[in-house]
Amino acid sequence: MALYLTLLEYSIAMSLVGVVAFFVYYLYSSRRDALAEDAESHDYIDPASYARDQLKTKQRFADWSIFLYNDSKSIGLRFIFTSLLFFFIAGAFGILLRVSLTVPTPSVLSPDQYDIVLTQHATLMLYMWAMGITVGLAYYLLPTAIKVRRDNMGSYSSFAYWIWLLGGIFIVLSRSSTRWYFYPPLALQGTLSGAGADNWLAIIGLEMIFVAIMIICIVVIRMILMDRSESVKLGNMSIYAWSVLFTMILAVLSAGPVMIALGMLFYDFFNPIFFTASSGNVLLFTILFWFWGHPIVYIPVIPFFGLIYEMMPTFTGNKVYSYSSAVFGLGLLLVLSMLVWGHHLMNSGLGVAWDLFFSTASFFIVIPSAITVFNYIATMWTAPRIRMTTPMLFIINGIIDFIIGGITGVMQSNVGVNEIVHGTYWVTGHFHFIFLGVTTGIAFAAFYVLFPTFTRGRKYNERLAGWHFALTAIGSFIMSVAWTTGGFLGMPRAVDGYFPFFQPFQDTAILGGLIIGVGQLIFLYNIASSWLKAPSTDTSNILEPDFPEPSGSAVSGGR
Amino acid sequence: MNKKTKVELMWILGVIAVLAVSMVWNIMLVDNQSAEIAQADTGKIPTGPYVIDVVGRQWDWAFTNYTGNTTYDAFTVQVNHTYTLVITSEPNPGSTAVIHSLLIPQMGLQSYAVPGQTNVIQFTPTHVGAYYFVCVEYCGEYHYTMRGYMTVVN
Repeated sequence: MALYLTLLEYSIAMSLVGVVAFFVYYLYSSRRDALAEDAESHDYIDPASYARDQLKTKQRFADWSIFLYNDSKSIGLRFIFTSLLFFFIAGAFGILLRVSLTVPTPSVLSPDQYDIVLTQHATLMLYMWAMGITVGLAYYLLPTAIKVRRDNMGSYSSFAYWIWLLGGIFIVLSRSSTRWYFYPPLALQGTLSGAGADNWLAIIGLEMIFVAIMIICIVVIRMILMDRSESVKLGNMSIYAWSVLFTMILAVLSAGPVMIALGMLFYDFFNPIFFTASSGNVLLFTILFWFWGHPIVYIPVIPFFGLIYEMMPTFTGNKVYSYSSAVFGLGLLLVLSMLVWGHHLMNSGLGVAWDLFFSTASFFIVIPSAITVFNYIATMWTAPRIRMTTPMLFIINGIIDFIIGGITGVMQSNVGVNEIVHGTYWVTGHFHFIFLGVTTGIAFAAFYVLFPTFTRGRKYNERLAGWHFALTAIGSFIMSVAWTTGGFLGMPRAVDGYFPFFQPFQDTAILGGLIIGVGQLIFLYNIASSWLKAPSTDTSNILEPDFPEPSGSAVSGGR
Repeated sequence: MNKKTKVELMWILGVIAVLAVSMVWNIMLVDNQSAEIAQADTGKIPTGPYVIDVVGRQWDWAFTNYTGNTTYDAFTVQVNHTYTLVITSEPNPGSTAVIHSLLIPQMGLQSYAVPGQTNVIQFTPTHVGAYYFVCVEYCGEYHYTMRGYMTVVN
């Protein structure tokens, strides 16, 4: 009886999926026919290229048609909204992690559940949120920033989007508990107490995400270098376009080793020969991994530095202090960030020479970071008046968080300090300062600026946006400060049991985490309620300079 | 050279000056205390009364002193002697060994325990008391239980 009921449930569910799929296909098919007729009347043979030529550099609004068109702006919107969805999924995992640490022994979550949630939080935040929003904003903003002449790689981008999404779904389904490092031999232990029974699925998912990233990089680099308008010279291209170019070059240069390493790791599931104790090559995977693993933490940061340069002048009312040092700083960041990956392995026994080289190289990374930060400060310093709108507040908070995160970061590159704080919450605090302040904060700033464009001219509620900013900034500061302080005393990461004297730091971090969570709920409510209102403003905005600004307000869209 | 370039040069040179000082300080520190940094053993494993064999397993630390006496998640050392830890990782029966990392934060001491590799690290306790240590390289479900106290006695 129970079997029949299950079968009935399955068949009803499958029929519903079928109905939805048929409806989507119907929409797709009818719009394609209409598009084909339209294209023919304009002497186009290929409807897709007609659509892209019509849509390129034009504003696109967020509706379901973004899944039907392959122009860059539609692809960008797909990435932006999918990554936001994953931000809330992974964020919920993060809150779950926080609230399970109210006592120093496993309570709400069992240890293996905690490890699964931790792995999901890290992997999804990095590859689905940070990478996704980076790529999405690049696709959405670049066509207007560099005034593309042709936009003909849409099919590749669409393919990349779908396998990126599928890769993320595979990672969720794998319930992997190996943390985002995938260190063998733990990653090869297919048990619940090891890496989870389906960890191989996570590796396939990650490999798919990498293939997607490679395709995206090639498309975007080509778009910037070959498809931009003749009127946009490389020498006066927008700083955002430069930052995306640097980011994509960085990703292409560094993703190869880890793609090979993941392939070898996958082979090890069936025939363990590469990363086993007997082969003596256990650390080889970690070396190959961090060759990508360090650049990945710069990839979601550099474009947001570019976005700060792009957005800041609107709110300060002057130009960026120095264009050349901005581009130089970001370019130097690209070069140096490829030379410091060994500082993730300083205590692994690779030796004094290794430590000294990578520690010294890590000190150098301060130079481009300082150039960038001083450039922001100089821009604000020389400003006649700074308008403290929500995006500008996020920008200022991002700069402050980056300064704190950067200083806690460079302290770790000292070999002696690294020995104390490596693997502790200090590191967690350090990169949450940067990921919450710069990546997430600036992404929210850009989202608020672009919101009227996404929504055909609807305004978000300023007051709620202010609350969203305040709670995110204060919450992330409390959380990260508690972590860095506890980490300096040796509070280990990735555990849900610890010495009871670490509990005050965890309690403070729980407070911060909950504040952040409430802030994001306000954001969701603000977006949903504003979207339901009638359009009340124009759709142009400061990030799309191609469109003539209406008189009276410089940031009518972004405001 | 206009004012803008001067300002930029000033901040770049300022940063480089601060960095140079910290880099040189870092290099001198490492040179002076290179024995206190984990180093993969190059073939000769030290022996003697002040050598402790440390084995990370899923999920406890086994400390074996020169008399062959093994303690789990706790060990005792004498104050003002330079100890050498010989750290590696071994599997449980029917399983594989994984990477661990031993951290004694108040000693400023950390070393990975890598399967198939022996790391050597030295430290000198200067005060009597109990010092906590933890495993800080994620090693599976009961990773959090790999912690304990090092006791320094006279």
